[in-house]
Amino acid sequence: MKRFLKWAAAIVAVVALVGFLAFLYNIPPFFLTPPEEFGADMAKAAPPVDTIADPAQRAIAARGRQIVMNTGCLGCHATNGSQGPDLTKYLAGGGVKIFSKHGTFVSRNLTPDPETGLARRTDEEVKRVLRSGTFPDGHVVSYTTMPWGNFSNWTEEDRHAVVVYLRNLPAVKHRIPDPSFEPADLPPDALEGIFGLKDYGIN
Amino acid sequence: MPQVRLTPGRVLALALVAFVCITTLTLASRNAGAQQPPGQAEAASPGKAVYDKHCVECHGSTGKGDGPAAMMMVPHPRDFTSGRYKIRSTETGSIPTDDDLLRSVRQGLYGSAMPAWEPILSDADIRAVVHYIKKLSPRFADEQPQPVTASSPVAATPESVTRGAAVYGKLECGKCHGNNGRGTGATATSFEDEWGYPLRAADLSEPWTFHGGPTPADVFMRFRAGISGTPMPSYQGAATDAEMWDLANYVGSMRRKPVWEMNAGEVAAFYKQQEADALANPVRRGEYLVNVLACPACHSPADSEKRMLPGMRLAGGLRMHLEPFGTYTTGNLTSDKETGLGNWTDDEIKRVITKGTLRDGTRLLPFPMDWPAFSTMKESDINAIVAYLRTVPPVRNKVPRPARTPLPAYIWGKFRMLILGEDIPSYFDGGNAGIAGGTQK
Repeated sequence: MKRFLKWAAAIVAVVALVGFLAFLYNIPPFFLTPPEEFGADMAKAAPPVDTIADPAQRAIAARGRQIVMNTGCLGCHATNGSQGPDLTKYLAGGGVKIFSKHGTFVSRNLTPDPETGLARRTDEEVKRVLRSGTFPDGHVVSYTTMPWGNFSNWTEEDRHAVVVYLRNLPAVKHRIPDPSFEPADLPPDALEGIFGLKDYGIN
Repeated sequence: MPQVRLTPGRVLALALVAFVCITTLTLASRNAGAQQPPGQAEAASPGKAVYDKHCVECHGSTGKGDGPAAMMMVPHPRDFTSGRYKIRSTETGSIPTDDDLLRSVRQGLYGSAMPAWEPILSDADIRAVVHYIKKLSPRFADEQPQPVTASSPVAATPESVTRGAAVYGKLECGKCHGNNGRGTGATATSFEDEWGYPLRAADLSEPWTFHGGPTPADVFMRFRAGISGTPMPSYQGAATDAEMWDLANYVGSMRRKPVWEMNAGEVAAFYKQQEADALANPVRRGEYLVNVLACPACHSPADSEKRMLPGMRLAGGLRMHLEPFGTYTTGNLTSDKETGLGNWTDDEIKRVITKGTLRDGTRLLPFPMDWPAFSTMKESDINAIVAYLRTVPPVRNKVPRPARTPLPAYIWGKFRMLILGEDIPSYFDGGNAGIAGGTQK
């Protein structure tokens, strides 16, 4: 009887261990979620533009929304919660931390928050980053950190539409640490390292 | 061999020990890193310091116009070592004046990635960097610039514009720029500059994209001096100065409203027209999308300076270590039948783009290839991308299949990330992980 209990306890423990490992194996459930759901989430996450009063601005913002959604800005500029990207904080940043010989960079807050977001930047400053990767302080972000060399080929009118849309996002207060320009250590072959999963913003 | 009795405690202990051993072993094998080489030696000149900080990302560390960000840009950044400049106020074949160079740095080049540095850099820095880039070509030491002597401007009267329209016909501008100036002339679909980079004939109705500037004087100077290295010649001799002023005025009259000046009706009509154009020329639309969606950024291998390997655009082979999921190498998107997309059906390509599922059913992660985002594209845009990929010249580059991390290491990685809350970085590597043209990298 005692023997039986021991075996039972062991089996329970092994089953629990295997169950735990299976849980780890499948979290986050990337391969169990139907692909269609990912896209549906993306479309839902991007705030709509119906509230913009001026019809011309609304149409331009709608074009900007389409571009922002298609380009996958959210891939880096999301804000991660405990269950993955928090889609209510659309483009509030902090979703990735990238490091290379150029330094360490956390994805910025693209919402129009006056303290922590893009409201601090003029339209031309935002466009200059999207066109030339160049920040107001003159620092040029590495092409592999943000593929602005590709965004530079947006027509100026598409770039304008992107900025109009960003200006009309709900503002989210989310402070992002300033970049560090200290070269980071990398494995021998690597060009760049990327942290994801957590929120790398400050508050 | 002595007999070992299987007790419950031992089974449990064995399972635990095996788990811990395998995970620590696989983990230990990964953590051997190396240090970065020490930083740059000396800072040579003030101009070089400015250059290294602000210019290398496009123009490259040696000034050849081959920085990491340069690879996808249309137009391509200037190769300073050639000493040949497009935007000049000097005779064909001459080097530019210092003022030409200063102006390009200060004001930037419209319709390109070159920003105006005037609001960012001090005048001393701008002068220093111009001094530095002149030293990158021996031409500036050996030659003197020959400024053009131009006649005084002709006012943009309706008569001048009418005369300019006649000059437009006489000089056959429409051959490249289209009869309406919208850049869709018979031969305009694809140009290359002398360095082999793609180039578009300017859309003359969009002066905000004129690299040399939008004023009649700017436009006149492009006719008079030509644009070196491109199919745009100097019209000196073919037309008089007065005719070129008329032509500049005619070009000025072609300006259409940009979207930021339009009212609601005009915006709607503009987007509708763009959609119609996209449907009429899906390859061109697809090329635009592939470029701005940054597909070539990952689907082309890069060297240790993050520059795309020559001739490998869209040929795949960039290796990514996605912790803890495995090693994924970007696919060959060229039309090569064996190693690229040449034998894939349209639906198979679209399935990867919108559902992240390879044709054998393998599911991709929702990153770094952002197929969830691409799935929100309009059907016509996805079709355009496929149409364009069909036209990408084949490059043989056999790319390895995604390799999932061995199970114990995978689970251990998940444990560290999700339970212990550790940060584990993913990496992407330099070099081509594929087998190109039958030879290893």
